[in-house]
Amino acid sequence: MTASAPSSRLPLTAWWLAWLIKEIMPFAVGVLIWQVLSVLDIWPSVLFPSPFQVFRAFVTDLESGVLLSSLGVSLISLCWGFFVGAAIALPLGYLMGLHSVSRDFFDPLVNLLQAIPGLAWIPFAILWFGLGKGAVIFIIVMSVFFPILHNLLTGIRLIQPVLIEASQTLGAGRAAIIRHIIFPATLPNLMTGIRLGIAFGFRSLVGGEMIASTDGIGYQIFNAQQYFQSARIVVGMLSIGIVWLLLDRLLLRPIEQRTTMRWGLLREGIDNT
Amino acid sequence: MNTAAGLLSVRNICKSHFDPNIGGQAEALQAVSITVDHHEFVSVIGPSGCGKSTLLRIVAGLDQPNSGEISVAGQRVSRPGADRGMVFQEYALFPWKTTQANVEFGLLLKGIKKEERAEIARRFIELVGLKGSEQKYPHHLSGGMRQRAAVARAMANNPKILLMDEPFAAVDAMTRQRLQEELTAISASERTTVLFVTHAIEEAVFLSDRVVVLSGRPGRVIADMKIELDRPRRWDELAGERRFNDYREQLTRLLYGANAPVEMSS
Ligand SMILES: Nc1ncnc2c1ncn2[C@@H]1O[C@H](COP(=O)(O)OP(=O)(O)OP(=O)(O)O)[C@@H](O)[C@H]1O
Ligand SMILES: [Mg+2]
Repeated sequence: MTASAPSSRLPLTAWWLAWLIKEIMPFAVGVLIWQVLSVLDIWPSVLFPSPFQVFRAFVTDLESGVLLSSLGVSLISLCWGFFVGAAIALPLGYLMGLHSVSRDFFDPLVNLLQAIPGLAWIPFAILWFGLGKGAVIFIIVMSVFFPILHNLLTGIRLIQPVLIEASQTLGAGRAAIIRHIIFPATLPNLMTGIRLGIAFGFRSLVGGEMIASTDGIGYQIFNAQQYFQSARIVVGMLSIGIVWLLLDRLLLRPIEQRTTMRWGLLREGIDNT
Repeated sequence: MNTAAGLLSVRNICKSHFDPNIGGQAEALQAVSITVDHHEFVSVIGPSGCGKSTLLRIVAGLDQPNSGEISVAGQRVSRPGADRGMVFQEYALFPWKTTQANVEFGLLLKGIKKEERAEIARRFIELVGLKGSEQKYPHHLSGGMRQRAAVARAMANNPKILLMDEPFAAVDAMTRQRLQEELTAISASERTTVLFVTHAIEEAVFLSDRVVVLSGRPGRVIADMKIELDRPRRWDELAGERRFNDYREQLTRLLYGANAPVEMSS
């Protein structure tokens, strides 16, 4: 332990290397297979653009500003849709979970509506909001809302009664139970709901923009297809994936690591003990 | 009857549950009355299913009796409250709180300031031998450590009476003896009033000033025995003690009798 100063550099470098391999390897392998398939020239490039073509289209779209501006438009719609959907789902979920009369009233309605895919709302979204952001946001709200509500309700049902009872014997009243027990206890399921909500939101975003908008990444994908610019389609698709990855790595996972994983309520996987 | 006496007074508690096997109400407790005095350690023993947990939950206010009443220091109680602290068999620690935060929780609800909370919690964490584990979350504690944390949490809240439902049933025999010795020492030094439920006769004799014996289902009080041995006690000193073995034998006979004529005719 005394001689740890000089040797501490090596493990750190090794750690970085391991991290890099773990994070980059799957993508490197994916691109390699893709490149090999393109080199074999089985399909015409309009049906199967090569990594290089996609990279070139990426640089072009980046330089022209189209990529970032349409991504920006899409992300703003996604944020609005997510926050509006969550802002309705969270209070309704806690109300339904904690108040049986509300539960009995809303449960059949929620059950009926949640079977309808977000995209099925496109016709009405266009009729109500016209082509554009309003319609897209509405579709996202309809997609984000149900996974959040459903998982929140599951979380409330899964709370161990003994934890509530323990808090009561320590002097907790209703408000304290909700704040100190129900909220943290529902967090793991709520995170699942939020994850699913955002994922569903992304899908509806792209679908909605293709049909109900004239802007955004979904529209760009649709537009590229009209002109047989296959590489640009892939750029659009990949940027959605990359934005999701960044969101997951930089926001959702750190939240989970700081809360549910630290509490032992959630693990990476069952091999990881 | 003994209306004025005692810190805790359990009077004529009757309780039945719906039993799907007989399609009707099945009695769990039949006119149970128990008094616990200030600073007294009372154990309730009885065969499995005789209603011990039910009784403790009613005292805690977590279940409602069909009839009868509970008073603490002369006040009738029917809802849960901080005056009756409870240690659950399944620990019931909050997974999202560290040991320190778990122990501080009741004090937080009382509105006690941060430094004072931390100070009180530290004292009880040390008392139960968990010093050094303050910042650990419950899933990083062993079963015995969780049990200690649960005891510290209940005691730090300074309840008038501590209710304990077979708190040591899930730990190994050696840890159990250690925990029993610690509990008897702590409850003696802190002068805690305890109502302790167990089905282990030795545990009841070791810990208690008095042992109340319940009959098999439906539970009725069939004996109330004073244990006249100095407290706090230690296992190595009691092992050869005549009176300890006498108490154990008497209670074994009582319990055996209680268990034999099972009144379940269905
Ligand atoms: N919520 C409930 N609903 C229906 N029956 C119940 C309920 N709780 C307890 N009972 C019944 O009441 C009786 C007493 O249960 P209780 O848990 O109090 O027994 P116990 O003395 O604590 O037993 P053990 O020593 O095994 O813990 C049992 O027969 C049980 O089936
Ligand atoms: Mg029990």
